[in-house]
Amino acid sequence: MSLLRWLGPGALQAALLLALAPLLRGAIKKMKAAFQTRQGPPLLQGYYDLLKLLRKEPVRSEVASWVFVAGPRVYFATAVAATALVPVLFAGAPLEEAGGILAFVGLLALGRFFLATASLDTGSPCGGMGGSREMTVAALAEPALMLGLFSMALWGGSLNLGDLVRTTAHRGPSAHPSELLAAAALFLVLIAEAGRIPVDNPATHLELTMIHEAMVLEYSGADLALVEWGSALKELLFMTLLVNLFFPLGLAVTVAPVAFVVAAALYAGKLFLLAVGVTLVETTNAKLRFFRVPELMALSLGLGFLALAIRFL
Amino acid sequence: MLAHPASGFALGYGVDRLSAWFLLVLSVLAVPISVYSLGYLRHGLLQRRSVFVSVVFSILLGAVELVFAADGAVSFLFAWELMALANAALVATEHESREVRRAAFLYLAMSHVATGCLFAAFLTLSAASGSMSFATLQAASLTGTPRHVAFGLFFLGFGVKAGVIPLHVWLPEAHPAAPSSISALMSAVVIKTGVYGLFRFCAFGLGVPSPAWAVLVLLCGAASAVLGVLYALMQHDLKRLLAYHSIENIGIILLGLGSGMLALSSGRAELAALGIVAGLYHVLNHAVFKGLLFLGAGGVAIASGTRQLEEMGGLGKRMPWTALFFLVGAAAISGLPLLNGFASEWLLFQAFLVGFHLSSEVGGRLLLLVTSALLALTSALAAACFVKAYGVTFLALPRGEGAAKARESPWLMLAPQAFLAVLCVLLGLFPGVVVETLRGVASSLPGVRPAPELARSVFAIAPGPGHFDHLSPLLLAAAVLLGLGVSLVLSLFAGYPVRRAATWGCGGELSARTEYTATAFSKPLMLIFSAIYRPTREVQAVGEAYFTREVTYRSEIEPTFERFVYGPLTRGVLQAAERLKVIQAGSLHAYLAYVLLLGIVLLLWLGGGG
Repeated sequence: MSLLRWLGPGALQAALLLALAPLLRGAIKKMKAAFQTRQGPPLLQGYYDLLKLLRKEPVRSEVASWVFVAGPRVYFATAVAATALVPVLFAGAPLEEAGGILAFVGLLALGRFFLATASLDTGSPCGGMGGSREMTVAALAEPALMLGLFSMALWGGSLNLGDLVRTTAHRGPSAHPSELLAAAALFLVLIAEAGRIPVDNPATHLELTMIHEAMVLEYSGADLALVEWGSALKELLFMTLLVNLFFPLGLAVTVAPVAFVVAAALYAGKLFLLAVGVTLVETTNAKLRFFRVPELMALSLGLGFLALAIRFL
Repeated sequence: MLAHPASGFALGYGVDRLSAWFLLVLSVLAVPISVYSLGYLRHGLLQRRSVFVSVVFSILLGAVELVFAADGAVSFLFAWELMALANAALVATEHESREVRRAAFLYLAMSHVATGCLFAAFLTLSAASGSMSFATLQAASLTGTPRHVAFGLFFLGFGVKAGVIPLHVWLPEAHPAAPSSISALMSAVVIKTGVYGLFRFCAFGLGVPSPAWAVLVLLCGAASAVLGVLYALMQHDLKRLLAYHSIENIGIILLGLGSGMLALSSGRAELAALGIVAGLYHVLNHAVFKGLLFLGAGGVAIASGTRQLEEMGGLGKRMPWTALFFLVGAAAISGLPLLNGFASEWLLFQAFLVGFHLSSEVGGRLLLLVTSALLALTSALAAACFVKAYGVTFLALPRGEGAAKARESPWLMLAPQAFLAVLCVLLGLFPGVVVETLRGVASSLPGVRPAPELARSVFAIAPGPGHFDHLSPLLLAAAVLLGLGVSLVLSLFAGYPVRRAATWGCGGELSARTEYTATAFSKPLMLIFSAIYRPTREVQAVGEAYFTREVTYRSEIEPTFERFVYGPLTRGVLQAAERLKVIQAGSLHAYLAYVLLLGIVLLLWLGGGG
């Protein structure tokens, strides 16, 4: 049964990333606190929060329909499904038969569509405000994301992430300026998609400034846990994609245990460095006014365009 | 078949694979829309006109079928005109309203400009080939300027019918004005006659397309896609919003056609197949989901008595089935995976990127780059637009009395929507079936040779041999289902049952008046793209200073094409008519003199030649 062949590695990889996602958020929070000379919450606070939320009584609005319940579940499910399309430790993705870059972006868009739709379900103005802003930022980020990914894909001659990583790993890092530009473009998209400063502030609940948090304001209990976990997973996915696409160094090529240990160590190291970068950006910048975000996304789009232009035109 | 051998005049019909594909699209839509009409025409004013609507609807169906099946210019133009007239009559069904009459007139006027262009184009071709049948017309070897002129005329003629920007102005007026069953047919199939013409004559009827044509088609496609969705975002009339999305989707189809033509012009047969297949796939997909959405919108408009988004809300609880089917259509049109819109847009991205990969000239690469970025923007904006359209219509509390009293549509209207919604899912999960069929269609076209790997299996498609990319939506669906399973297991940990409570109202009372509106939802995008919209806004506060009793708010976007393209054009025509009035004095003597003068000129011209 060929489905089982994909199911095992896919489930393992999804479990690994699900387990890792809250830790990454915790680490960024801890580092941010360190930069601000605060102590910050414990590194494992993300797990405690999830456990607490999962056991709490969920309160749902009387106005809401089944869409409100479906939103977080589809959001979480699509993020979990997307993990199977991304190479993490192995130079290949468990479900690369299913699709590549376009499927990855599409799955995340599907989750976002449902969560933003659900945000309109309670009749709260905050939800609509958040949903509107989230979809606006996503619409602006999408072309930039695509161009950034395409510049790597066209260089590697494949839109499939598994194939692409194998090609780039085989070739070794080219350190072409185009890759630098594409990485910068995708870093900006990562900031926007993960809802971090300067695009969004994950730590605020001030209605004038929040985007993602406003969209999910009405959720509680397990519903909220799924949203939180889903967005942590999404952030981890984008970071994994970034590090493994541009620095495929150390990805396991064989199924030998040693190769996996090396790959895991290197992956953790690369992820940590990127997390430091994200934290630095978050500490040294102020949140942008919402209507300045398009400029940031235009910058990212321009970088992606340049990345393609200097290599191919 | 009617024929007059002496003059070579023939009314002939013949179906090749390209016609068959479009006939398939027509048939898939005609049945559910007809069933829907049975329920729909029982309502209100339409009940009194149900005989009229049914009869003309049947004539329209027949005419569209003839357009796809005609194998000569005479039968084609006959069917084309019949279609335009039947359609205009249906647009004018509710002719008591001035707007409806205006929409029908605009449709008729634009349609006839288009037909005029087609007449000229067919006559140019038949002058060169000496026959009116398509087989000989297409063999006519025009070269140089006449070939470009024929292309231009065909593009204008079919572009108007398809609603390509900047020839689209009639579409957002006519589609909402017609009864919803007719809007569904118009948007799903009738505008596809224009697309059919573009495929048959612009891409494959005039020999190998020139690169300049491909660039024109790509640019018009990109403009239609992006501007179509941007204008759709600003609409608060549900049917108008859907009409602008038709423009967007026609743009997407044209992007496929244009990339195919670009490949044809450089002789790349396999690459051309990719763009052509993507375009034709999207023709079917758009027909299915747009038909579904218009049928749903028709049900909503009848149940709530309004088409204005700002007066709707909460319909999901009152019309659960309509809401469910509309959600499927909304996700499909937004190009989200597991549904059909994703499959064709995926193929289109492949056509762009494989084209980029294979092409060597800078201009072509640059163009494909820009169009793929614009396609990404289009589908993301479409998602934003349908979050708004679905959320404001079906979720939260009803904003108007009509919406509060709405009831679910009868099953006669729901069953066709269910059929189309299931089709959206099936066409998305089994793209291999569609692509395999389209491989046959594409291979019948001159200069196109689809790669056998296009459909790897029933479930999987790929742009060609090798590792460039592949897609298997059924596997994605399995992965999402597993994810859903995990989320359901996680939800079981809660030690308490779900509690229902009022939505948190920041300390105040929440009502339908505090809900986020459609205007507010799309406002950020209006401000971001204000260079395109050029919005104007008017706020009036009534009351003494500091104590406002009432605020009126009006916001408008600039109808750029109507004001800056069609405005001067109309004025120019009217002025020219004013000038020409001098020779139309109404005096019989003057007219006799004209006839005499014309006779002399003709004698001199024709006699002088001999």
